[in-house]
Amino acid sequence: MENILNKDIRAVIDQCPEVGRILEEYNIGCAPCSVGSCLVSDVVGVHGLDPQTEATLMYKMEKALYPDRDIPEPKVDMSKVVPKEINYSPAVKNLVDEHVWIKRLLALIPTITDFVEKSETVDKDLVMSCIDFIRGYADKFHHMKEEDILFKYVDEKSEIIKVMYDDHITGRNHVKNVVEGAESGNKAQIKEHLHGYRDLLTQHIKKEDEILYPWIERQMSDNQIGELFQRCSAADASVGEELPKKYEKFIIELEEKFAKEN
Amino acid sequence: MSDCCPGSKTMDFSDDEQTEDETGARQSQLKQWPIQLHLVSPQAPYFQEKDVLLAADCVPFTLADFHKDHLKGKSLAIACPKLDSDQDVYVDKIASLIDDSKINTLTVMIMQVPCCGGLAQIAKSGADKATRKIPVKQIVVGVEGGQVLSEEWL
Ligand SMILES: [Fe+2]
Ligand SMILES: [Fe+2]
Repeated sequence: MENILNKDIRAVIDQCPEVGRILEEYNIGCAPCSVGSCLVSDVVGVHGLDPQTEATLMYKMEKALYPDRDIPEPKVDMSKVVPKEINYSPAVKNLVDEHVWIKRLLALIPTITDFVEKSETVDKDLVMSCIDFIRGYADKFHHMKEEDILFKYVDEKSEIIKVMYDDHITGRNHVKNVVEGAESGNKAQIKEHLHGYRDLLTQHIKKEDEILYPWIERQMSDNQIGELFQRCSAADASVGEELPKKYEKFIIELEEKFAKEN
Repeated sequence: MSDCCPGSKTMDFSDDEQTEDETGARQSQLKQWPIQLHLVSPQAPYFQEKDVLLAADCVPFTLADFHKDHLKGKSLAIACPKLDSDQDVYVDKIASLIDDSKINTLTVMIMQVPCCGGLAQIAKSGADKATRKIPVKQIVVGVEGGQVLSEEWL
């Protein structure tokens, strides 16, 4: 079994698509992942399954890959496996709460691109105000805390962290394209890349909330949790409490604007 | 409580040499004296910027590996929310630990009995009263079998 643990998940799924389906059954969605170069051992380890569930998952994958091998089935009472609510430490809880504001913008994107498409000329101010939120709040305020502080507590060379960095970079490319579209009045470009950003960040946030953050926290000592909290608080203090408030107000007003128009 | 009383005299022996010996007698992970919340000074040197464990009196007797799994690396205070008097002092001491000694985290360990929730409440009130904010964790220990039942950041 060890040999499959050290393989790229993408290679394993390509070799045996059934493995992808089995992972899906355990809510491990490697199919939509943007990179998919994680090792099988990381993919399984990162989800923090209880030992019995993990054993069953490994058994099923091995069985799918090597149907001829004689592998004993682990005895598991699935009825006893209860999904537990994720408990984040305060600093990480703040990051999860920030995701909620970002998701509120993502939810508005189809409405915004519809509005842009239907109006005679591109409302550049509207598009650029969304870009300002993405750059000022999602990227600068939020992603910087991840990149400069949180991710430093784990091996930054691990595939999972690389995937997160890649997502941040892909997001910035979408933003660049939206800005270009707004400058030139190219509605199709704005739509394509705002939707691209929306799809990307929806997956990205889900991965962070459900998998990455809990995985990082499991590796941290209480001492590091306390230090993380102080460092994130200092980062927040350095930008001032007005900055997040300003962006939260922007989202509320944007929601109100489009609620009225519909 | 005068400083002459050996029962409440502040001592910090965290710098004492220690050798690991897991095969024979284990070493204590306690690095300070006193430990009772009424007896400790919240500004004692052994609390400065430390991760602090506030354990209900019954907790260490219930967990065989209390030293290794919970006390190690932490400074300690113990209290009983059911029997101790003057518990307002406790709230102020927690607040002082956070504000004056700038402790890094506070972990409150309680037993799975209703009255023990009082200690978690004291910890929360102290943390609310403090102007500095720190992560506070609650660990609940089962009476029977000495298992950790839950562990969560509040
Ligand atoms: Fe991220
Ligand atoms: Fe994030």
